[in-house]
Amino acid sequence: MLFNSLTFVVFYVVVVALYWSITGWNARKNLLVAASYIFYGAWNPPFAALLFSTTAMDFWLGRQIGKAKDPRARKRWLVASVCMNLSMLGFFKYGNFLLQNFQWLVARVGIIYQPPHLDILLPVGISFYTFHSLSYTLDIYRGVLQPTRSLRDFVLAVSFFPQLVAGPIVRAGDFLPQLLHPPRLKTNQFFWGLALMTLGLFEKIVLADTLLSGSADRVFSYAGPLVALDSWAGVLAFAGQIFFDFAGYSICAIGAALTLGFHLKDNFRFPYAAIGFSDFWRRWHISLSTFLRDYLYIPLGGNQVAPFRMALNLVIVMFLGGLWHGAAWTFVVWGLLHGSYLVIERVIRIFFENKPWAGSPFTRVASGFATYGAVCIAWVFFRASDFTVASRMLSGMFGGHPSGDMILTTRELLQIGIVTAALIGMHWTMREESFETTVMRLPAWAITAIGSVMAFAIIFTQGTSNAFIYFQF
Amino acid sequence: MPSFISNFKQRLRLPRMFFRKPTREEQIHGGPPLEFERPIPPAPWRGIAVVITIVVIVATTLWELYARSLGYAPTLNDNEDLWTKARRKVQPESIVIIGDSRAWFDVDLDEFQKGLGKRPIQLAMAGSTVYPALADLADDKNFHGTIICSFVPMLFFAPPGSPPMERAEKGLKRSHNQTPAQLISEELGIRLEEHVAFLKPDDLSLEGLLNQLPIPNRPGARVPPRFPPYFETEDRERRARMWEKCAEPGSELAKRIQQIWIPLFTPPPPPSYIPQDIFMAKIGEGIQKRFADVTGAVEKIRARGGKIVFVRFPNSGGLKELEDKIMPRQKSWDPLLQMTHAPGIYYSDYPELSGFDCPEWSHLTAGDSVEFSKRLVPHLQKALGMLAAP
Repeated sequence: MLFNSLTFVVFYVVVVALYWSITGWNARKNLLVAASYIFYGAWNPPFAALLFSTTAMDFWLGRQIGKAKDPRARKRWLVASVCMNLSMLGFFKYGNFLLQNFQWLVARVGIIYQPPHLDILLPVGISFYTFHSLSYTLDIYRGVLQPTRSLRDFVLAVSFFPQLVAGPIVRAGDFLPQLLHPPRLKTNQFFWGLALMTLGLFEKIVLADTLLSGSADRVFSYAGPLVALDSWAGVLAFAGQIFFDFAGYSICAIGAALTLGFHLKDNFRFPYAAIGFSDFWRRWHISLSTFLRDYLYIPLGGNQVAPFRMALNLVIVMFLGGLWHGAAWTFVVWGLLHGSYLVIERVIRIFFENKPWAGSPFTRVASGFATYGAVCIAWVFFRASDFTVASRMLSGMFGGHPSGDMILTTRELLQIGIVTAALIGMHWTMREESFETTVMRLPAWAITAIGSVMAFAIIFTQGTSNAFIYFQF
Repeated sequence: MPSFISNFKQRLRLPRMFFRKPTREEQIHGGPPLEFERPIPPAPWRGIAVVITIVVIVATTLWELYARSLGYAPTLNDNEDLWTKARRKVQPESIVIIGDSRAWFDVDLDEFQKGLGKRPIQLAMAGSTVYPALADLADDKNFHGTIICSFVPMLFFAPPGSPPMERAEKGLKRSHNQTPAQLISEELGIRLEEHVAFLKPDDLSLEGLLNQLPIPNRPGARVPPRFPPYFETEDRERRARMWEKCAEPGSELAKRIQQIWIPLFTPPPPPSYIPQDIFMAKIGEGIQKRFADVTGAVEKIRARGGKIVFVRFPNSGGLKELEDKIMPRQKSWDPLLQMTHAPGIYYSDYPELSGFDCPEWSHLTAGDSVEFSKRLVPHLQKALGMLAAP
């Protein structure tokens, strides 16, 4: 079920109305479990069974880790959980990709192998709920979380519908404690949640789908060379689209959770005003970057190791981060590029951090724009269907096709320019503070006016229920 | 002697997490969960919500009244879910109409039902090529009914990856993969569209209005041609009827649409990145392949006892001249009938089918579509072997 669909509107109203009218906490939690499985099953009912089975397995494995006294036994149970989750992800998401690469590899040594094409349907949001569930056994193993006794509570933590299919990646350790005591209905919290949902839908329906996605799609699917203006416009359109699409989903999820009395952490914090790539990853898909940091980067040694090893750790983490997004080498290159950016940034810091001009406003703004430019270059690999498209796009962006084609209308170019300038301007304006602080400073009439425009724009735009980009991951 | 584990660790360089306890810093990552609470900006949120609700209701009502004052009325919008709904109604012996917008506008289901004995299912889709739907019916082993297939050469031969092909494939894909959520959204959407006039994505949405901005493009830009504005109504059976505003003789809307058809039906210039002779050769190969694919699909349907008849629906004015020039009958219609050995009805071959005028050059008015269908029925009966040949 998509947030931007009529089905969700009806579903949400019914669930919220029932939830707040039921008095028993257990009954409310049962309702949320049922609602979450209906939400998920509305895509493909059999996959709800898959979701439940992985959740139940992790619940059981979590208990075994918690019960085991012997460190080796704890380790074995953890390995079982990691293997179970990753093999599930591997089969559904990477099955065909692995077979294709195996075919390519054996062909290098002269063996002609034609693998069967596995007709595997990717369960929506599998990358997200696998990480929700995995965080539970990992945290129990690390000793930062006690196993829960309630299967129902754990099922709800993994499948809570606002964050189930496209994040934020909510760790069981952040969610389970919220299930101990029933939240009270707080008027301001409820309406603030609705305001966040309106903002999220506005970002998705109006900004991502209506103003940017068409141009990005056309540029990236064009089979010929493009002039620099159109190439850059396509990339900037995609940079804006993916932000509004994904941040819009996250804000909707946070808002929907708030209206039910739950608190989810931020997933984005004005990333296009990042100064440097470490800063970017502290602002972009925060729940994934902190997951990778805590469960992969730090265990690999983090930055407490020799510089070369630290650089290698960064690249490994970003390589896997890229692969998490999709079963294609273009995603791997996207991840490796970000890994390289992080390494280069560390090197630059070593040489220039203490220079007197390093902290000047000009340097900061210039670094910010350089960061944005490099992030956009990496987006080319993220969006391109293959390396031919990516190299053609990059060549176009850097003037390789001065007599290439122009395929965007003037209106589209203006749209992209205005939305991108507004996006970057807003991010720079708010980069040092939280979104809530910005709203706090606005007078009530301004909030009302902005909210009215957004809500009416959602209706006026007549969106077509396009899926969110991150559903495919 | 090093233990097995330490050896293993050294060799594979597994993450340290497997071998040591988390640090205190890791343990307190993110702060104690119970203390995490999102800040709520202090503001009179209840009052703000009430005012926003009132403003949105008033603005939406005004927008609806404005849409109605322009002549718009509630009607369904055609989309892949409505198409899917119709596709699911196809029974083994159904009469099915497939093809482009001409079959969609020009066929009256009541007249066809009277003449052919069964109510046909309307699967024609505006701006789409027919092959995906034909191939789908050919692959449906249960289907052995009758197909009435519209033929507009520019759409019929649309290559893979082109907008007409993508549109057809989108509908087909949805019919195979529609989720329960999409089904429910469609049912809810139908009920809304039947009562709200401003739900016209082509004209009255943000994108529709932005498309209408008269901003000139860069010289030499290869921008896609514009699509026509809203000019039809549609019911739950996917029966399309031309909007009265367009059907009025000499209407401004009809004239505007006429000028949209010309660039839309004119073949785009060859791409700059493929030599022209290679491109033209590929186009030729594509056409031959389409002939072969369609023939294969027709043979499959016929082998199961099904029937197919091709119909060329009326066009007029500058569009007729353009279509006849770009894809003359001798190079498109005649070879199609020869290869498929299927019967065909070309409207201009029959005086009783020829006298209709398309206000915007491509489709019949709602009234004419009834009369045209009535006159077409005897030809269909004959072509389908329902009547003895005179």
